[in-house]
Amino acid sequence: MRAVSLLFAACSLYAQVTYDRLLKAADEPGNWLTYHGQYSSIHHSKLAQITPANVKDLELKWVVQAKSLEKHETTPIVVDGVMYITEAPNVVVALDAATGREFWTYEHPLPDVTYPCCGRVNRGLAILGNTLYLGTHDAKLIAIDASTGQKRWETVVTDYKKGYALALAPLIVKDKVIVGTAGGELGIRGFLAAYDAKTGKEVWRFKIIPEPGEKGNETWGGDSWKYGGGSIWLTGSYDPDTNLTYWGTGNPGPDWNPAKRPGDNLYTDSAIALDADTGKLKWHFQFTPHDEWDWDSVQTPVLVDHEYKGKMRKLLLWANRNGFYYVFDRVTGQFLSGTPFVKQNWAVGLDEMGRPVKAPGRGPSAAGTVTFPGVQGGTNWFAPSYSPVTKLFYLNTWDDYSSIFFAWDQDYEQGKWYAAGGVKAEVQSASRDRLNRRNPGAGYGATRALDPVTGKKIWEFRTAEVSESGILTTASNVLFTGNREGHFMALDATNGKLLWRKYLSGMAASSPITFLVNGKQYVTVAIGQALFCFGLRD
Amino acid sequence: MKVMTLAALSAAAALAQHSDTVLVNPFQTPDDRARGAVFFRSQCASCHGADATGGAGGPSLATGTFRHAASDEGLFKVITKGVPGTPMPGFSMNGREIWQIVGYLRSLSASRMAEQAAGDAAKGRAIVGAQKCTGCHWMHGGGSPRGLDLSTIGARLSVGELKRALVDPSAEVAPQYWLWEGKLKSGETIKGHRLNEDTFSIQIMDGAGKLRGVDKSTLAEQKLERRSAMPSFKDRMSEAQINDVVAYLATLKGDAR
Ligand code: HEC
Ligand code: HEC
Repeated sequence: MRAVSLLFAACSLYAQVTYDRLLKAADEPGNWLTYHGQYSSIHHSKLAQITPANVKDLELKWVVQAKSLEKHETTPIVVDGVMYITEAPNVVVALDAATGREFWTYEHPLPDVTYPCCGRVNRGLAILGNTLYLGTHDAKLIAIDASTGQKRWETVVTDYKKGYALALAPLIVKDKVIVGTAGGELGIRGFLAAYDAKTGKEVWRFKIIPEPGEKGNETWGGDSWKYGGGSIWLTGSYDPDTNLTYWGTGNPGPDWNPAKRPGDNLYTDSAIALDADTGKLKWHFQFTPHDEWDWDSVQTPVLVDHEYKGKMRKLLLWANRNGFYYVFDRVTGQFLSGTPFVKQNWAVGLDEMGRPVKAPGRGPSAAGTVTFPGVQGGTNWFAPSYSPVTKLFYLNTWDDYSSIFFAWDQDYEQGKWYAAGGVKAEVQSASRDRLNRRNPGAGYGATRALDPVTGKKIWEFRTAEVSESGILTTASNVLFTGNREGHFMALDATNGKLLWRKYLSGMAASSPITFLVNGKQYVTVAIGQALFCFGLRD
Repeated sequence: MKVMTLAALSAAAALAQHSDTVLVNPFQTPDDRARGAVFFRSQCASCHGADATGGAGGPSLATGTFRHAASDEGLFKVITKGVPGTPMPGFSMNGREIWQIVGYLRSLSASRMAEQAAGDAAKGRAIVGAQKCTGCHWMHGGGSPRGLDLSTIGARLSVGELKRALVDPSAEVAPQYWLWEGKLKSGETIKGHRLNEDTFSIQIMDGAGKLRGVDKSTLAEQKLERRSAMPSFKDRMSEAQINDVVAYLATLKGDAR
């Protein structure tokens, strides 16, 4: 009898990740409940046990090796002592956040041939109730029981054979799971879709490439919309006050021969704000109309309430791959300001609506055109951070580097690359090389703090190589980030001073996160093929 | 049951035998190569460059030697399977198309390497001995530990490239041979080649061939020059002598195909 009642008690106490908990995720900093940590995507934690004074006492608590050689792009989620991570290509692992020991693994079987643009990577998961959600390289959305690791249902999001793949962590809003797809180099027609979290049934779909008769299709000359690209491969944000969900969209296709697609090419390279219940477009802003350089606007939409010209405003902060830092009113979509944050030579400036005035002759050519920033842009998909304590915006930048952009003719063929051009650069887009022998004059990486309103640089920490790591800030003003060199670093968020570093070898290509284990603050970072967990010495 | 096992065994034996014999590219006509060039342009050039000499995402495929493949069959496998852990995807084209690309890639180095040397290799060999090239280079099991191995240089560099290496060595210098010089705060000066670098340290091979890690915080100053340590032999040898050396180096193909 006693045993039974105990069992019952255990059941009723069992903590489910309700939507309410997701809404208030910032207030339970002992967990990391969503890909970006909270709906505003500020990558900031209220935890403050690790401080600028004691961060030098961090020690390794555990390491979990991945079984895959692909880039380890996972950002974990942590729920009440259990950590859920993904490994390439489509593996989910539940582990004890205290020790790193695995509870279960789930492996999604993939067909031999899928169509990833840049490695069969996966960036992470979403959770609602007791269900985890995974996007796969064969373009499925999979619901997995968080206790058992068993599949509950799967839904075909779209036909992967046409070049689609899911690499992003899904976003939960209310009772829906929202995902977009990769494939911008394979002539896809991108979209964002919401599914019923219980059944996997599609609820709405927003087409990033409008079809004939739909608004925006007029921005595509001829049939070019058919292979227009417009991927979404990074998780968006959500504001419960406006009920809008914010996402960044990818490049138009083919990437480097814009003559194949006359017009602005909506809604590629844009910020889009959709009604979370219906998927209806509330507003959009296109950063790089008629993109010629593959500058996806797949960055983290950072939602911040901040003073702007003497008035508190609901802002959207956006450091774009095209090298400009933008501030918007996120309720109306009004463009407030835009300033370059790295060396650029493709635009003379932005007009009062925020539209770039392009410099002549900077697009790809048969002989090659040198353009700043290079193909990976001034920054890219790796998460920036905003600290409500310092009121600064932090990001990893690639500065003072260029690429040579080439264009050639090419026709679309299903399942094949459709980029119609190429790029050369000293600063390589992706690198598995252990050795950095680059010409130091060809560009550098820097972790920077910007004034969120003006975009003015407050401080920077320069690195020899560039970084593809996200940034985490904490209430105690410690900033964590990694880089391609294999360093995991803690900087002082107020002045950029290096407080601590550890060489872990391999590259960081995800976001550091923090959480509590038995009341003690831990930090993890995925570097190389492993996830490293640090905490203060006991 | 027994029969089955035997059959399976002999199949395995046949397979093993098969994998010993190198697969020959069955699609090697000029037309195949032209088709390969077209496929390369559309499927590979975005990362590897229009002329296959490398791009922002992928390495040069035009040198005739490959990190991940020693044969045409190896190249076929790399292209179909990709290189795990890198952006290099596996491609699902049909086998014929892949062979055509392989043929195209081979043709890039083949035409480059086709040029014949004009000089006298036997004379060249003597000159190489007299000029003490092995003071800096490694050759046939001896020489300087810090130098690049010339034993198979003829497999990698064309006649034109060999000549340029002797006449104008600084024209194109691989980054691991750029000259590095650092002055430590302690007063010591280190000269050598930079092998690797990050924000906090530099990995060097010094003039004696010794490997050294240098903590950047101990450096007072440093400079890196995109220049070769090798002197130009333009004024040290006659044109005919240079041609002889080139002819000799071109014969050094080692085991590489
Ligand atoms: C998305 C970019 C990308 C595309 C498209 C691509 N490659 Fe690659 N490829 C790479 C990268 C990066 C590497 C280097 C992998 C490594 O680090 O070893 C590579 C390596 C290779 C190698 C091995 C080189 C060596 O030295 O061993 C071959 C061969 C190759 N690619 C052929 C091709 C062919 C043929 C195609 C088109 C059918 C192609 N690649 C398309 C990025 C790409
Ligand atoms: C003072 C040292 C030194 C001497 C003497 C020297 N070399 Fe070199 N050599 C180098 C270095 C360092 C490099 C690599 C940097 C470069 O590409 O120039 C090199 C490069 C080369 C290369 C090009 C290799 C490549 O992969 O591009 C060739 C060929 C070569 N040497 C041949 C010779 C020959 C033949 C002699 C004698 C006649 C000679 N070298 C004498 C230092 C030397």
